[in-house]
Amino acid sequence: MASLADALPATRLTPRPRRPAVSPIAWLVGPALLLFVIFFVLPFAVMAVLSLLSGNPAQNPNVYLTSRHYVRFAGDDLYWDALWSTLRIGIVTTLASLLVGYPLAHWMARMKSRLGHALLLMAVIAPMLTGIVVRTFAWMTILQDKGVINTTLIGLGLIEKPLPLMYNEFGTVVALVHIYVPFMVLTLTGVIGRIDERLEQAARNLGASRLRAFAEVTLPLSLPGIFAGSLLVFALSISAYVTPFLMGGTNVLTLPMLIYQQVSSSFNLGFAGALGVILLAVSLLVVIAYNHVLARFSGPEGLT
Amino acid sequence: MTDHSLPASADIRLEGVSKSFDGKVKAVDDVSLAIAPGEFFSLLGPSGCGKTTSLRMIAGFEAPDAGRIRVGGADITDVPVHKRDMGMVFQSYALFPHRTVAENVAFGLRMRSLPREEIRRRVAAALKQVALDGYEDRRPGQLSGGQQQRVALARAIVIRPPVLLCDEPLGALDRKLRQSMQFELKQLQKELGVTLVFVTHDQEEALAMSDRIAVMNAGRVEQVGAPAEIYDRPRTRFVADFIGEINLFDGTWDGGRFIAGDGRSLPATMNGARPGAGAVAVRPEKARIVAPGEGAVAGRIESANFLGGQVLYRIAASGDRHMLAKETNMGAAARPVGTEVGLLWNEADAVVLEG
Ligand SMILES: Nc1ncnc2c1ncn2[C@@H]1O[C@H](COP(=O)(O)OP(=O)(O)OP(=O)(O)O)[C@@H](O)[C@H]1O
Ligand SMILES: [Mg+2]
Repeated sequence: MASLADALPATRLTPRPRRPAVSPIAWLVGPALLLFVIFFVLPFAVMAVLSLLSGNPAQNPNVYLTSRHYVRFAGDDLYWDALWSTLRIGIVTTLASLLVGYPLAHWMARMKSRLGHALLLMAVIAPMLTGIVVRTFAWMTILQDKGVINTTLIGLGLIEKPLPLMYNEFGTVVALVHIYVPFMVLTLTGVIGRIDERLEQAARNLGASRLRAFAEVTLPLSLPGIFAGSLLVFALSISAYVTPFLMGGTNVLTLPMLIYQQVSSSFNLGFAGALGVILLAVSLLVVIAYNHVLARFSGPEGLT
Repeated sequence: MTDHSLPASADIRLEGVSKSFDGKVKAVDDVSLAIAPGEFFSLLGPSGCGKTTSLRMIAGFEAPDAGRIRVGGADITDVPVHKRDMGMVFQSYALFPHRTVAENVAFGLRMRSLPREEIRRRVAAALKQVALDGYEDRRPGQLSGGQQQRVALARAIVIRPPVLLCDEPLGALDRKLRQSMQFELKQLQKELGVTLVFVTHDQEEALAMSDRIAVMNAGRVEQVGAPAEIYDRPRTRFVADFIGEINLFDGTWDGGRFIAGDGRSLPATMNGARPGAGAVAVRPEKARIVAPGEGAVAGRIESANFLGGQVLYRIAASGDRHMLAKETNMGAAARPVGTEVGLLWNEADAVVLEG
């Protein structure tokens, strides 16, 4: 399983001797580069430009530069709350996916039986074959006031009123973790699988208990995987729209929901653009901070 | 290292130890060994004969299916790995890639919660012992194979274990480096007085370094003895064949004389062999090349391999047999290929094999 961590700058590159001419390999990167520009750089640039204009230049030629979309954001607590809510959901989902995914990934990576490994891999990947909407609806039938959990608990007489499991951030996070944990598991399995088991044995031989050996050796060596997996889950969950919409009901408002509103009902592309830029900027800051925290754990040269 | 006494070395006893994987082939089959304190003891045998498995059972990574393991008199069969207090050098070194050389060496001391200052001092001393002072802040990835090997050694001995286990520690080194490391390892082992169990499939290495060798075959111990004993007095056909080159003769013992398959009587003394079918073996350097009529066997020189100090002759005898004889290189007096010769040896130099 070629892990996603491979693609990240976290792995140190060994310097190669410089070639005089452009390598033919470089041409192969061309299409990817083109796609990257068309589908990422260009839309983002359009979004950033729109966020600084008074209107849509395609409809109204008399637009002028303005910071009013950002001023609007800064002046209204509703938007700040939406931003915090988005980040909170992203961070909690990421940490929960890590807690759920790491043991699973470790188990999978260290599994001797090939059949067992294949079955586990299927179990991890299979849910991804079902659409997000379907999986979210499944969670709704479980977490609703009249859902499986609440009716069971009430039936057993353990509670009188249904627990608030849905239409809040809790329900949103539960569903998001379920949907995105495979990304965490697959990324981590690749990284943990490449850590030599004998390193942990050497640590135990030198007097470390199993747990200590794990904490001293396997955990720090899997930090690049933790970072890559977290990045993936965080990025996916702060940009999720369907799940927060269905699971959060009217109680959860995230930036992607706001952006959708601005685009589809308010037709305010400028403000939508500003929200997008703010979401991207803030999540970049979170990612950088996270990288620093992990780097501290792994020592000076552990990560980058 | 003057600030402490030598670590007390311990004896190791394996008593009827067996281990099979997945309930199938026995990787280790009823092995009993008594290794003396401070001894350099080698486990030697072909690939897959159970050397690593034996070592891993001593270290505690595998639990034996049957039998007990004692170290220093105490039964450690059920003691977990991290409480066994043994040094180990892994085949691929297993250095922690995310830690510096100093941190690697300090690891075992840190696990023992020693004071910082003592850790620093002992790490420095251990690195000095393996001639790696000045490399403290490097990462394992920035070291050569030989240097990594030494870090692994320092990491194992710094905890002053009574027992040191090495699984083909020199396997990845080139020949020259290997020989100098053999010498250094042996030196260090004597200096520390530690009991060393050394796994290798290289017979020259085992012969050169060990106090005693256990030759293993298919999970069993074939013979235990000092290098000279193993080489000069192999007991079984397997040991004779595995260690060095040897000429094997099948035949029968008949009234105190050994009669080869072709009916000739060969020089050999029966000492203890059972009458009936048997085998004797003669080392190439014990076989003298003589005139065709005077030898116990006769043949024609088929090839001469120049080995530097010696020449190894391959001699074609009757019945599609080949024999080997080694002579000191005498320069111009080398024997030409095609010469008819005879081979002769002293009765005492013919090794009587069991079965
Ligand atoms: N973890 C394991 N699972 C299954 N079989 C194993 C395991 N470890 C060893 N074996 C088997 O046990 C036998 C002995 O293996 P062992 O590693 O002890 O051999 P060895 O003497 O060290 O060989 P080598 O010189 O190649 O390292 C082999 O047949 C091997 O396939
Ligand atoms: Mg081995």
